Amino acid sequence: MEKDIRIKPDLQFIKELQAVGGDGVKKCYQCATCSVACPLSPADNPYPRKEMVWAQWGLKDKLVNDIDIWLCHNCGQCSDLCPRGARPADMLAGLRNMAYQKMVTPSCFGKWMSSPKHLPKLIAIPAVIYMVIWFIMAGVRGSFFPLKDGNVVYGYLFPGDFTIDPIFMIAFGFMAWTFYRGVKNLIESFKDQPKVFAVGDKSERPSLLACFVDVCRNELLTHSKWKECGETDEADEQKFNGHRFIMLAFIFLMIVTGIVAVTHWGGKIIPFLSAIGHTPMPLWHPVKILANVGAVMLVYSLVLLTKRRLNQDESQHKSSYYDWYLLGLIWTIGVTGIMCELLRLAGIAGLAYPMYYVHLVAVFMMFVYLPWSKLGHLVYRTAALTYARYIGRLPMPVREEKTFTL
Amino acid sequence: MSKSILVVGGGFSGITAALEAAEVGHEVFIVEKAPFLGGRVMQLNKYFPKLCPPSCGLEIQFQRIKNNKNVKFFTMAEVESISGSKGDFEVKISIKPRYVGPGSVDLSEVIEKLSNNVTDEFEFKLCDRKALYMDVPFAFPARYVLEKENCTDEDLKLFSGVDAIDLNEEEKVITLNVGSIVYATGWKPYDVTKLSNLGAGTVANCITNMQMERLAAPSGPTSGQIVRPSDGAQPKNIGFVQCAGSRDENHLNYCSYICCMASLKQAQYIREQYPDAKITVYYIDLRTPGRYDKFAKRILADDKINAVKGKVAEVIEVSGSGNVLVTVEDAETGIKAQNEHDLLVLATGMQPSLAGVPVPTGVQVDDQGFIVGGEEQGIFAAGCAKQPLDVMKTAQSGTASALKAIQTVIGR
Repeated sequence: MEKDIRIKPDLQFIKELQAVGGDGVKKCYQCATCSVACPLSPADNPYPRKEMVWAQWGLKDKLVNDIDIWLCHNCGQCSDLCPRGARPADMLAGLRNMAYQKMVTPSCFGKWMSSPKHLPKLIAIPAVIYMVIWFIMAGVRGSFFPLKDGNVVYGYLFPGDFTIDPIFMIAFGFMAWTFYRGVKNLIESFKDQPKVFAVGDKSERPSLLACFVDVCRNELLTHSKWKECGETDEADEQKFNGHRFIMLAFIFLMIVTGIVAVTHWGGKIIPFLSAIGHTPMPLWHPVKILANVGAVMLVYSLVLLTKRRLNQDESQHKSSYYDWYLLGLIWTIGVTGIMCELLRLAGIAGLAYPMYYVHLVAVFMMFVYLPWSKLGHLVYRTAALTYARYIGRLPMPVREEKTFTL
Repeated sequence: MSKSILVVGGGFSGITAALEAAEVGHEVFIVEKAPFLGGRVMQLNKYFPKLCPPSCGLEIQFQRIKNNKNVKFFTMAEVESISGSKGDFEVKISIKPRYVGPGSVDLSEVIEKLSNNVTDEFEFKLCDRKALYMDVPFAFPARYVLEKENCTDEDLKLFSGVDAIDLNEEEKVITLNVGSIVYATGWKPYDVTKLSNLGAGTVANCITNMQMERLAAPSGPTSGQIVRPSDGAQPKNIGFVQCAGSRDENHLNYCSYICCMASLKQAQYIREQYPDAKITVYYIDLRTPGRYDKFAKRILADDKINAVKGKVAEVIEVSGSGNVLVTVEDAETGIKAQNEHDLLVLATGMQPSLAGVPVPTGVQVDDQGFIVGGEEQGIFAAGCAKQPLDVMKTAQSGTASALKAIQTVIGR
């Protein structure tokens, strides 16, 4: 030993980690089965064995600055093969949950998102905002459930231009700004990660952009890395398809929202645009069809994902509050969204408006709290995977060397 | 009231228990499931602590049994049921037909003429034998066994002129009246086909530690030559995978106690035979209890024997060469590597023989199959039926259970 290293265990950190999914950590006896079981773990300093021992020793600094927790896609093979039921997959998920909690200020959101007991506060913020609008507009329209020409028109009670759009634009801006700070903090935390030097490799280091493009192509859109996570039983199919469909559904719904927003606001300048995206749209409208397909896909994937979580063997995989919060929220958004449309078409104002109100509250919660929720992985994982390629922790796809002999 | 003692299992601890009780004057019955006494020790090449061949301890024990009229034993016999209570048990024993009568008749000429080959379980499927056999070294009783169901019609005709063989023998059930019972049913090697990530028994040159004992034993299928099962080649680079099934809640949720020592012992077999061979032992923790630590230090001082901290979690066959590729993370260096060996030995754990089989009422087993409690009822466990042990401790545990059994039958 060249130098003695004194380990300062952070006991509070171990307790926090155990609370967010790492409760099996003390069972680990370091056999390293997990590192081998993982199909994605690199050969050099593979995870999750080293994370397990860091967690046992309370090495907070090592763990909160660890890029490897983002390389894990939580397929759970390590937990399946673990001889001790230490559930390394859940511990890595727990570390990610801690990252969502602590990545950015205001830290109160992180804390509120970590436990169901704070859920009322999170609901209260949008609930009050939209309740105020509802009250004011009820005064203007003369009814809490007003009809416009005998029809339920949500924009009549909650006008887009003055209530819905400004609030969501602010919410969206807040989210984007939070993510900007979060990603900055995340990359900052990786500064002590070892850099990889390729000896004799004359090619240039990939640029951040090239890395990002590779992440989008091979991880985000195709899920092809995740597919390497191997197993083929029913639960894995449910998880894989559920995740892919839910992402597609969100992309569809995002396109719909985008078209509506662009044509509406763009219509103020180029008049004929507004006709394309005028809401409510008739059911034959291509954009409406896309919206409805997206909604059905959303619910279908929710069924898959929920079924899988309910059937999990608790001794090997446990679902945390972060998992259930997100599933619950998307269920609420999906179900209230579809119900809004149906109740509107049926003309039941007394139920349609409250349903729309709940929908607004849920969508607000998804956007504003997104950086502190499990869905934050969309940005943080993408950033980490990009950076991992940039520093050489993950390889870029092999360039095809073409040699022509004459 | 009966002063007799029943010992279930004729392995090292059962024989020890039986002799200890018999030599102070108690009538003892040994019930053994196999056709021969001696149990798992018979299958070993050498055994701890002194690395004796099995004949070293067992031949003396067999002599003591022969010379003691108090010991009666039944082979190919199993306990069917236990009734009654402490001091007055009634035990039904079923005895399978052996078809071969007593008297040390040499039947090797008949055996040569038999056509059918049967996989030899005593040799852990490393070779075949005939349906008429005596496959253990220094067999006791020195009496052949015939498996009638594995004979062709022509084979059966061959036996008609042989006096020692009686094809009409039938299964019988006898009833014993005993005062106490010692359960020394021992262990079985854990089923490798359940180790899905370690080849599940499909990789030819990935053998178990018990198969290695047979390969190294002079009485074994290769007359003691340690060679690869696939092509008979001499191995040059051998790997040992510790905890193959043991200390794993998905398989055996306990440490099998002796596998680390067994692998180090087998490393010595290989090094004695092949001075240039390289050996790697992959382990979670090398457990070398008590005085075994000295042995371990001596073996590990050999620079051709390398110990790597990390459990092998993937075993695949290299097509063509028949070599075995293991994937393991060295926890000390943090490098995950694929290493190629020409022979791989899985240190499979000990599973109690009673695991997964129906046990008579009165015998209680835990979720792993080990016997627990029962002492108040006059039923005592000995040897590996109770916990994984080495041969020395097994004998001690046999003696201890004999003492308890004696105390029970004489009422103190």
